[in-house]
Amino acid sequence: MKTAIEFKDIKKSYDDKVVMEKFNLSVSKGEFVTIIGSSGCGKTTALKMVNGLIQPTSGDIFVNGENFRNKNQTQLRRNIGYAIQGSVLFPHMTVEQNISYVPNLLNKRDKEKTKNAVLKWMKIVGLSEDLKHRYPSELSGGQQQRVGIARALAASPDILLMDEPFGAVDEITRGQLQIELKRIHKQTGITILFVTHDISEALKLGTKVLVMDKGKIEQYATPSELLQNPATEFVKELVKKERRTCYLPEEQLFTCKFSGTVGERNSHDTK
Amino acid sequence: MIKDIWSVFIDRKEFFADLLFEHLEISLISILIAILFGGLVGIFISEFQKTAKPTLGVINFLYTIPSISMLGFLIPFSGVGNATAIIALTVYALLPMVRNTNTGIANVDPAILEAAKGMGSTKIQILFKIKLPLAMPVIMSGIRNMVTMTIALAGIASFIGAGGLGVAIYRGITTNNAAMTMVGSLLIALLALVMDFVLGFIEKRMNKRSVKAKKANRIMAAISVVLCLGIAGGIFINTQQKDTLHIATKPMTEQYVLGEMLDILIEQDTDLNVELTQGVGGGTSNIQPAMESGEFDLYPEYTGTGWNMVLKHDGLYTEDLFRELESGYRDSYNMQWIGMYGFNNTYGLAVRREIAEQYNLKTYSDLKSAASSLTFGAEYDFFERDDGYDALCDTYGFKFGKTIDMDIGLKYQAINQGKIDVMVIFTTDGQLSASDVVVLEDDKQFYPSYICGNVIRAEVLEKYPELKTVFEKLDGLITNSDMAEINYSVETENKEPRDVAEDFLRSHSLLQ
Repeated sequence: MKTAIEFKDIKKSYDDKVVMEKFNLSVSKGEFVTIIGSSGCGKTTALKMVNGLIQPTSGDIFVNGENFRNKNQTQLRRNIGYAIQGSVLFPHMTVEQNISYVPNLLNKRDKEKTKNAVLKWMKIVGLSEDLKHRYPSELSGGQQQRVGIARALAASPDILLMDEPFGAVDEITRGQLQIELKRIHKQTGITILFVTHDISEALKLGTKVLVMDKGKIEQYATPSELLQNPATEFVKELVKKERRTCYLPEEQLFTCKFSGTVGERNSHDTK
Repeated sequence: MIKDIWSVFIDRKEFFADLLFEHLEISLISILIAILFGGLVGIFISEFQKTAKPTLGVINFLYTIPSISMLGFLIPFSGVGNATAIIALTVYALLPMVRNTNTGIANVDPAILEAAKGMGSTKIQILFKIKLPLAMPVIMSGIRNMVTMTIALAGIASFIGAGGLGVAIYRGITTNNAAMTMVGSLLIALLALVMDFVLGFIEKRMNKRSVKAKKANRIMAAISVVLCLGIAGGIFINTQQKDTLHIATKPMTEQYVLGEMLDILIEQDTDLNVELTQGVGGGTSNIQPAMESGEFDLYPEYTGTGWNMVLKHDGLYTEDLFRELESGYRDSYNMQWIGMYGFNNTYGLAVRREIAEQYNLKTYSDLKSAASSLTFGAEYDFFERDDGYDALCDTYGFKFGKTIDMDIGLKYQAINQGKIDVMVIFTTDGQLSASDVVVLEDDKQFYPSYICGNVIRAEVLEKYPELKTVFEKLDGLITNSDMAEINYSVETENKEPRDVAEDFLRSHSLLQ
């Protein structure tokens, strides 16, 4: 499989404080990598290095085989979708203008193409067309997240970076958005890096999970591998609860004595 | 009062309309420059935050300079007139513009900027697509403040010979015409309110975000741009003229009238066009440099003032020094004295007529023996000045029975009511002609002589020799009491300087 993103011997320090050292990782094309770790572990730093918002102190990053250092970063960023926490829409632009922001940076002329792209992406992320002249302040939290995703995807990038994009929405909306994102990943085959601090979200979305602590990689593996063979104490502690969660069909739930349905059933029996 | 204001306004509609238009022109040019330049500086310092503090420091410092001194500083560089006014107004307008642009941009949410950068915007794109639109409300409120301030401040521009409604205010003050001052002030206030309303409207339109409103905005903006261009074009076309003589006058009632007389006679007797800049603030100290740089061609001046302030001699000026004065002007400045009006506007002592008759007073010296039983009145500063009360008494050996300090506006009232017997006056005071007093002769020449004449640049006189015949008509035309009467008509009877000038010339058969 082709490599989409490669970190080679990355070191990052602020003044004397080293936050990341000997960081090596290669992400295959089409992978959905969720990055998890406690706050301050360097997960956002790693993400922002991919689009050059943060420069490594030493080491190289290759995106699609090209060293980021030697490239016109502005041009490169346009091919990398970027969605951040709270999605941060431009408050003075309509939904349509927000989504067409990057396409407009890329090609100003072809207005028709951009218009169609906007409609296409609104449909894919599940926004109805009549919202396109609304401003961000006139949207619900969930709608804003959807616009944020559509904006990140509008120029059809082959890499998508997401930094806790669902951090600020309610549980129900988040569940819907996770399903949509999974579907979009499947549909487009795009490579996604997704930072989260919610282990269940990381396991549910990722085809690979990257666990980080104090700037180092603890484990980089598929979700099932992570659950079955946690590589370190840190990972073990992280997935402890998830290992005990069972996803049984409804009618078999009661067979598991840790399931919440058991107590209910017992109380029925004593009646 | 309100009736006076209204009638002044109605009578002089065109005068005020011209001033209003000029005021708007000066203010708008300054505002435009400040928006462009201040905006650029604001953007620059917000991009390079290290430069923000020193830049704002400098601009803050400029802002604290009192406007009068700012105008004074600028005169040596940019002369008198509109250019200096526009520079000064622009300097003051910069602070709100720069500060608000910087604040507006600096306060844009950094997360939004990072998002924009992360999506691949260049610095310029971030500036124009994100920063400026988001900073616009703050910038707009800065502009609104700045516009109101600039329009108000432009009122002071007339101090240095620029146009605008300040001319009416200043003229009202110097010629004791309160109604004219009021009309000028009210019009400035009105103009500021209207401009603020217009900007408020623009701000409101800009906040409307529906597609329809945006379309309407674009149409309105296009229409106003076309209108502005039309007006600007109109001004440009209008400014082509025949040969123009630039005349300045000092901010004194009699000079306003003299200016009008020069205007009337020169335009009547020659083909020249006269541009009259009345009441240049600071008088000689601002007019003389402008004469040297050729911005003004001639102005009425007093011999004593020329001797002390222009030629910078220390001693007392008397008329037997006139030849020296003339050669000094010719050698140092290539200027000439011409058309000596005849009156002498100097300090003098006036005595109530009954007192003068009682003691048979004609000269200052006559006053010596009577002084001990008389009351002497003068302004506060006369008792403090080096050439004031003490020096006067020393020279003539006076010992007045009593002295009273009083306001300059009240002393004529006091002498008419018999509260004082002797007082210091100017020999052309308007009130003099309406008071029952005798002006004594300064027989020991304690006071310098201030004969009024015109100072003209020699090259102008060479170029337009026809002016000589005009100045011949002015020689010895006006006596002290004529001038006092003229001042009285303007200051007390509230007649227009131009009307008074016309009446006077007509009564001397100088009008055709």
